[in-house]
Amino acid sequence: MTGRRVALLSGALVLLVVVAVVGVGIGAHHVPVVEVVRALLDHNGSPDHVVVRDVRAPRALLAVGAGAALAVAGVLIQVLMRNPLAEPGVLGVTAGAGFAITAGSALGLAASPAGELGAAVAGAVIATLLVYSVGRRSPLRLVLTGVALTAVLSGLSLGLRLLLPDVFDRYRFWSVGSLAGREQAPNTVPLLVIAVAVACALLLARQLDAVELGETVAQTLGVNVHRVRLAALVLITVLSGAATAIAGPILFVGLMVPHLARRFAGSSVPWLTAFAAVLGPVLLLVADIGSRVLLPTGEVPVAIVTAFLGGPVLIWAVRRHGAVAAA
Amino acid sequence: MRTIRLAAAAAAAALTLTACGSSGAEPPAAESAPETRVFKADNGEIKIPGAPKRVVATGYAVPALLEADAPLVGISTWKRGIPLMTDEDRKSYEELPKIAGEAAAETNYEAIAQAEPDLIVIGVPKPVLADIDVKRLEAIAPVVAIGPSVPSAWRELSRNQADAAGALKRFDAVRDEYKAKAAEVAKKYADVLPKLELGHVGAYGEVAKGNFQREFNGSWGTNVAQDAGANYYGKVKVKGGGAKDVSEYPSIEELTAAFAEADAISYSVGPDGKPSAGVQYVLDSPLWKELPAVKAGKAFPLRYTEAATYQSAMKALASVDEAFAPLLKK
Repeated sequence: MTGRRVALLSGALVLLVVVAVVGVGIGAHHVPVVEVVRALLDHNGSPDHVVVRDVRAPRALLAVGAGAALAVAGVLIQVLMRNPLAEPGVLGVTAGAGFAITAGSALGLAASPAGELGAAVAGAVIATLLVYSVGRRSPLRLVLTGVALTAVLSGLSLGLRLLLPDVFDRYRFWSVGSLAGREQAPNTVPLLVIAVAVACALLLARQLDAVELGETVAQTLGVNVHRVRLAALVLITVLSGAATAIAGPILFVGLMVPHLARRFAGSSVPWLTAFAAVLGPVLLLVADIGSRVLLPTGEVPVAIVTAFLGGPVLIWAVRRHGAVAAA
Repeated sequence: MRTIRLAAAAAAAALTLTACGSSGAEPPAAESAPETRVFKADNGEIKIPGAPKRVVATGYAVPALLEADAPLVGISTWKRGIPLMTDEDRKSYEELPKIAGEAAAETNYEAIAQAEPDLIVIGVPKPVLADIDVKRLEAIAPVVAIGPSVPSAWRELSRNQADAAGALKRFDAVRDEYKAKAAEVAKKYADVLPKLELGHVGAYGEVAKGNFQREFNGSWGTNVAQDAGANYYGKVKVKGGGAKDVSEYPSIEELTAAFAEADAISYSVGPDGKPSAGVQYVLDSPLWKELPAVKAGKAFPLRYTEAATYQSAMKALASVDEAFAPLLKK
């Protein structure tokens, strides 16, 4: 069983590399394959090389970071809530980031890419702290608090946007989850944070495996359930907050990748986390390539592609969950 | 309540029109103006007062009629035009009752009825006209829709609006002043500008789509500079109607291909000199820094590129003069 998983994970890693290279090779401006490779290995500063190295490569890196972050956050929240339909947004992270962008724009604090990034991270963290402080006693309370806070923050954001057209404009650009046009933003720190958080999630996965068996069983196995839950919650916030900050809200990745990963990983949380960390980037890179080639008139934001893919997957997940529940 | 008011306004408007149409029933509106006349607008041939006394304006008609000193009694908000207004026009803008918001869908029919206009001038593009209940407005006063087509057509558009509102005298005076200044600037740059192949980066690129706006001759960012003798080479790959006949939105990856041949490049900035997010995205791109024109120090910011009246175009013209001044240095 483990050998099969290792083989599958290795295959997924190879697929990730292939998709990333294809992603770097495709774009509005035609760059010959040889030049794509040269641009990565022997950069000479020509316009073709600049396109590959300074526009496409950072974009592919963003897709890898955001995809891994959202997918792993999705695994953590589904395990934590013991609900296969949970996704990072239910904790109010996305709404918190969106409200912070709106309020920050209104106050002139989110006028630059760096300001936007900072506001999104701060909003995500504050929203999660609020949700946790109110709903920490049970997963159900957490979800309900998250939903309630999302509704309140969305309403406040909408009110501000309607009152202030300039804020509406800035939010409009941010709210379309996209990997395009973000390559110039200061993304190094969020990407490093994501890398560390994914590593931490892999370390925490074994204990979450026990928590998924139930609180009593987990305690019997010597796992401090409250501490594990708190750690998972922190990781979900950091991962989805950082992903939302660098790419805007991208729905469904956190929902659908855990379901895809489950087909290869079975019920093992460590394997599920590992597969999600690879398949999330694959999915987002494929969606990003699709966003560039689907329409002859120009790009569509990647969030629209993932939403287009996510709808059918959600229906599939609901039907599958229903079938399992009925059995 | 609203229905009653509108019905009353409609009756009042009908009475006014009847009065205008009948000779001798009322004193003539102006000595030389006919009582009514037929005006050709986007919504057909409309019978309007020869010399309107109470005009409501929306959209692009707001700055045009403010400048022309038309007898306005209500206007839509037009925030984008505020920085381009003269102090006097801005004061009038702030004092006049607002009968609609920035979007056509925000039209307040009751407020228009309360303003008791004898003419309503709608300055929105034809497709946006669908957001307005024109029949409801026609129950209040004659409605002429005079909306923009290609950006450079603001000259004819604003004159038509001023004509409908019976305010051509002041309008033509400002127009002539602009033309004289444009001729002066064109003369100043006669040895330089016409020889250059220019490119322009517009303000409306969409960062979330990773693109930029390239404007050609006849667009918002270029048409006033053209009056000074500038020539923006090339044309759109596919005409999209209206502004998209003279501007397009290529991917940032195509920045080099778009401007590699340009001798000089201009780009839109706000009235405060700050570029929009779409322009800043281009200015920060490593591809921009490698463009021959940029390397040669021939990238120039243009302010007031959204000018759509002669008064505001004079500000745009001054900005063109200021921006291109380095080209005169030998």
